[in-house]
Amino acid sequence: MKPLRIALTKGRLEKKTVELFEKLGYNCDEIHNKGRRLILSVGDGQFEVVLAKAADVITYVEHGVCDLGVVGKDTILENGTSFYELLDLGFGKCRFALACRKGHDFYHGYGAKTVATKYPNVTRAFFEGKNMDVRVIKIEGSVELAPLVGLADGIVDIVETGSTLVANNLEVKEYVTNISARLIANTASLKLRKREIEDLVNKMEALTSDDNNSNS
Amino acid sequence: MKRNLRITPEGTKDYLFKECTAVNYVCKKITKVFENHQFHQVITPALEYYDLFSSIRAEDMFKTTDNTGNIVVVRPDSTLPIARMVTTRLQNEVFPVRLYYNQAVYRNNPSLTGRSNEIMQLGVELIGSSGKRADLEIITTAVESMQSVCDDFRLEIGHSMLFNALADELDADEETKDIIKTYIENKNYSALNDILDKLPKSETATAIRKLPSLFGGDEVFAQAEKFIKSERALEALAYLKDLYSTLSVLNLGDKLSLDLGLVQRNEYYSGIVFSGYIPGCGDSVISGGRYDKIFNMFDCEMGAAGFAINVNFIAEKSKHSPKKNIAEVLVFAKSDETIMDAITYTSQLVKSGVKAQFSILSDEKEAREFAERLKIKRVEVI
Repeated sequence: MKPLRIALTKGRLEKKTVELFEKLGYNCDEIHNKGRRLILSVGDGQFEVVLAKAADVITYVEHGVCDLGVVGKDTILENGTSFYELLDLGFGKCRFALACRKGHDFYHGYGAKTVATKYPNVTRAFFEGKNMDVRVIKIEGSVELAPLVGLADGIVDIVETGSTLVANNLEVKEYVTNISARLIANTASLKLRKREIEDLVNKMEALTSDDNNSNS
Repeated sequence: MKRNLRITPEGTKDYLFKECTAVNYVCKKITKVFENHQFHQVITPALEYYDLFSSIRAEDMFKTTDNTGNIVVVRPDSTLPIARMVTTRLQNEVFPVRLYYNQAVYRNNPSLTGRSNEIMQLGVELIGSSGKRADLEIITTAVESMQSVCDDFRLEIGHSMLFNALADELDADEETKDIIKTYIENKNYSALNDILDKLPKSETATAIRKLPSLFGGDEVFAQAEKFIKSERALEALAYLKDLYSTLSVLNLGDKLSLDLGLVQRNEYYSGIVFSGYIPGCGDSVISGGRYDKIFNMFDCEMGAAGFAINVNFIAEKSKHSPKKNIAEVLVFAKSDETIMDAITYTSQLVKSGVKAQFSILSDEKEAREFAERLKIKRVEVI
């Protein structure tokens, strides 16, 4: 039987997913000693893990070359089109927020506002929901810089602790939505390999809901 | 100005040799099934008026204008043109009519996603009938078509009225309902859940959220009956249950299953719907269903059902490895005087069923080298 191929978002989500796999009793030695390899075997060869950048996880899953993926809700909101979202894994929690310079009244006046962000689709949808026509500028690096140098009135970005905002004299105006890691599946894979995928999802679900209860 | 001389537009490609053979193999096998079931071929124009495709998103179509300023599109779908053709040209036919087509459709997909904008499709339309017999005929023809080209596939059936009835009864404005339907059609389940979260809690919203997870064997009926309260949706569910149990005599095992969350991309579907998958292909390779509503736009009442198969998806994954077409004989004319003799001899060989090729090269050594490189076993000198 071909292993189920799972795309993991490199970095923090990868570490958390590996912890989850290990709690389920799957051997993750190859991931711990991965070196420069990008495709790694997990368990007794029933899973194959692929490490990728967040947006690429979605691409690989949408094309069906990976059956499953672990990716943040932020990336799904920005890039998601056609796949199943199976499970909220409960880790990688943070929030999308609108922030601007401390004391600045973002909504004041009728002038069109300019917003800098790494997430133009999320930003556009957020302001469309408020019936606001804003100018969105895509920034690749530190978005916090944009309002400080006068490029934008505000930013829409991921906020975890808010310390970067504070250090740059910015403050959260409004929270857009909550974010956490999600398990996604290719639509065809879910049909063709229903049993294996359901089995894994049930195991993960049991574990993540336990964790959520013990945390609260 | 940079001229695009050496590349093809995004989403298109050339098909060479074996790729063509694979496509032809799939087409031949499937059209045989269609023709034996008495479906008759039609060809519609590649260009149609934009007005015909109002149910397809404008940004998904390639558009241009004709010389009177009307917008024309490169056919994004074959079902609507065939419906147009049936209403205008086949009024005096004996109904139901069985039609099939073998032609590409064109979709303007977002760039850099690697999706094909040109998809070769084979499909059937059974027009002028509705009800169980017609639905069963279409589903079994779909199964037979898939069986003729792949050993492993999954065909899932559902009913478009499940989602549509629930969406209609949802406590939300029309725009939100439209957005919900788009998310369902695009299988964008995460966006669907987000928008449902924002609506007031209701049985209908819960049912819509649960439907996509209801796929598999007939156990899904009991699960669905627990939370579907809508009368129209229950009616659709009962019909599907009856159809599914009727199909069980085919003993298809898990090749045929149910997906209560299945919705097709076009809003003209009105009854059963189905989609099929093959291993190694992330998208569905066959989709179809019943679309009686399609004839409303032509002000006539007619039942219609059918499906389309994405031929190139199947050809790419096809295990059938065709042999290269290699000539058995290379015929070489040793001088200008014997050219016509050699050509005539080549023609005779070809007529008698031998794969022969006349050598264009005029040097015998070069001709023999050419034959060797092309693995042509015999060279005949005339």
